[in-house]
Amino acid sequence: MQTQTPNRLNPFYENLVFEREDNHMIVNFGPQHPSAHGQLRLILELDGELVIKATPDVGYLHRGMEKMAENMIYNEFLPTTDRMDYIAASSNNYGFALSVEKLLGIEGQIPRRAMVIRMMLLELNRIISHLFWLATHALDVGAMSIFLFCFREREFAMDLMEDYCGARLTHSAIRIGGVPLDLPKGWTDELLAFITKFPNDVKDYEALLTKNRIWKMRLEDVGMLTAKDALNWGCSGPTLRGSGIAWDIRKEEPYELYDEIDFEVPVADRTDSYGRYKLYIAEMYECTKILHQLIPMYHDTKPGIMARVPEYISATKEELMTDNFALMQHFVLVSQGMRPPVGEVYVATESPKGELGYYINSQGDPYPYRLKVRAPSFWHTSLLQQILPGTYLADVVTIIGNLNIVFGEIDR
Amino acid sequence: MAQHQVNYLQEGGLPVALTTVDKLVQWGRSNSLWPLTYGLACCAIEMMAAGASRYDFDRFGTIFRASPRQADVMVVAGTLSKKHAQFIKRLYDQMAEPKWVISMGSCANTGGMFNTYATVQGVDRLIPVDIYLPGCAPRPETLQYALMMLQKKIRRQSAFSKAKPKRLV
Amino acid sequence: MRAYTDKQNAQAKAYHSDRFYKSPQLAKDKVSTDEIFSADLKSLEENFEISESYIQKGQMVLFIKPNDIKAVMKHLRDELEYDFLSEMSAIDFLAKSNQFEIFYQMLSIKKRKRLRVKFFIDNGEAVESICDIFNSANWAEREMFDMFGIVANNHPFMKRLLMPDDWEGYPLLKTYPLIGDESAQWYEIDLIFGKEHRAVVGPEIRDTKRVDQKDTTQFARVGSEVPYGTKASNEKTNFSEFQEDGGVPFITRFRKDLQKTLKKRK
Repeated sequence: MQTQTPNRLNPFYENLVFEREDNHMIVNFGPQHPSAHGQLRLILELDGELVIKATPDVGYLHRGMEKMAENMIYNEFLPTTDRMDYIAASSNNYGFALSVEKLLGIEGQIPRRAMVIRMMLLELNRIISHLFWLATHALDVGAMSIFLFCFREREFAMDLMEDYCGARLTHSAIRIGGVPLDLPKGWTDELLAFITKFPNDVKDYEALLTKNRIWKMRLEDVGMLTAKDALNWGCSGPTLRGSGIAWDIRKEEPYELYDEIDFEVPVADRTDSYGRYKLYIAEMYECTKILHQLIPMYHDTKPGIMARVPEYISATKEELMTDNFALMQHFVLVSQGMRPPVGEVYVATESPKGELGYYINSQGDPYPYRLKVRAPSFWHTSLLQQILPGTYLADVVTIIGNLNIVFGEIDR
Repeated sequence: MAQHQVNYLQEGGLPVALTTVDKLVQWGRSNSLWPLTYGLACCAIEMMAAGASRYDFDRFGTIFRASPRQADVMVVAGTLSKKHAQFIKRLYDQMAEPKWVISMGSCANTGGMFNTYATVQGVDRLIPVDIYLPGCAPRPETLQYALMMLQKKIRRQSAFSKAKPKRLV
Repeated sequence: MRAYTDKQNAQAKAYHSDRFYKSPQLAKDKVSTDEIFSADLKSLEENFEISESYIQKGQMVLFIKPNDIKAVMKHLRDELEYDFLSEMSAIDFLAKSNQFEIFYQMLSIKKRKRLRVKFFIDNGEAVESICDIFNSANWAEREMFDMFGIVANNHPFMKRLLMPDDWEGYPLLKTYPLIGDESAQWYEIDLIFGKEHRAVVGPEIRDTKRVDQKDTTQFARVGSEVPYGTKASNEKTNFSEFQEDGGVPFITRFRKDLQKTLKKRK
């Protein structure tokens, strides 16, 4: 009902009745938009440029992976896990492989060389993921040349992955029981060349962004997330550490050989996007530090890259080609799948985005009875409902970029 | 794969008699194809890598445009879910003629490895596709090769043919 | 006789079912083996009824009554310092006992311990929403509703999350087929073009092993395989040049003979 006197801004319309008087606009930040984060649909209620209410709408990339898992044997499902967090594919593979290994009880029998290779792949994937984050975040905020620089570095890291497993993006490089391939000759030298050069490039990015007035103005005091809120909304990884809580699963519940490696976990005190940005940069330095320590560890290990558990894991190719029992076992494992014990596990690992957890409930069948993936981006996106109201429209893009969400994980 | 019921004598196979004006116009169109950023899933990352420093896409004259009104070619990169299906049709309709579609990756071609309830089994159920690009994810060079094939196809077409309703699958 | 389809379970089955093989159970340890967990369990048992408790793979598992869930969560968060809800979802045991099993995975950052709270509800029952205690449950419960049809009472926005709003059926139930039922298979055609268009487009091709013999582009060489070692004399090499033979005006011609392969990447 018309309650105020009409003026030029609010004229009087004879046969129109407005539902609301407050001039709020509802804008659809549609599922296809140029900022590179995938298919996020945000329904924003704006008062001018100020966001009053934000409703994220996800599910535009839902592919039914959890139902697929209930219809596939464990090894068959592993390449599907690649497609969840498709920026750092080996981390998902690793999470799944570790959960199945815990279910089978063979996590102590993984050969040491396989563990070292796995850690190298994980840290390389962390570098790849953080570079992608920086590239797209800077692109959204407006610093477009960082996108090209970061992708250039990323290409070198993906060359390394390609030399190892043959694929740039969807690796399937970590299997249940170890890794399928040993490192090629000269791979560690190339890795060493890469990580010697890499910190200088990160320094270049820092020189461009960290003390940049515009970058600071866009990122400081934007997306404030208190520690209590972060815990309540289920944030993990750099988003949680950006609010002051020092929780890194690699340090607190170490898996693989992370307890033998010396590295620090950066924690930021300021709860805004700038703190998280500095965290990601610091983590990139830490990854190179870890990789430096892993290379001599690799050369100290004996050959052997898959666990020897004939009940669940096939034998090596040399044995398959010569030993009949190994071939028969392999045939059964591939055509029917292995039968794990009855029970459930939940295993969380530190993916570049946060706490990636796999919950597997097995009833003794070769297929998981229920597989639920705890994807960090899912919980970070639900956080948007709380964190966006009160910010301006330009900050919405910054916050979404800063939270490092990837839609393959959210929708699975 | 779509069933091709193509009459090779009429279009696409033997060269249609092209006038100089045709050749000029199609030369211009093919060398400045502006793609619509339609990255849906993992293939989007490879599409971005194709546009980035090493596999530069800009040397083909392509500039990624976010608005369908300004775009010539729609590169569907990634899995099309059923929830999203109506938007791809909407955006395709919003693009202005002449327009082409490159379907990048297995998921866009046929639904890929996701033989599930929520995946459209191939983007060509909804919109007509000109070039199919296999791979999971296809390398950036493959996407560039597909673009070059599309350029070749465009140069063989005649410029002012009335927009025939394109047949779907 | 028509083929037998198991209406209770539409999932794929193993080709071979081992009649005599009984899978071992994962070890369940007593809670008394761990100090922190025994203290937590004691504190919980004082206030609530815990029907079963054990430690499996280093994490404690508790079975509580469905109605207690809100009070248990509050107790866990306030008294026992489990302030992080890692995950929450449901498991479909309708074929076995007409029940769903709901689980909540908790984490205590200070004590570095993980805990799982579980209970069974019957088909048709609802759970209490714990959104006011843990905000992260907001979307987790919506997803549970979307996938299983289990409603969470007093949830601020109980609508579908991952599937479209007008989707029929709850996908993660065991009775829902992987490729979807009829409304799923035609969903996008009905929505965009209308039901009449179904005949024009045709059904989805879901058969992964389908090979079309009359494929016009000879994609699959079915029916035209030749013995090993046959010379491909009549075959025209279908080598496609990057650009047309005459070149394109003003565009540099790609010359394969001038191409140089680098031995080492720059």
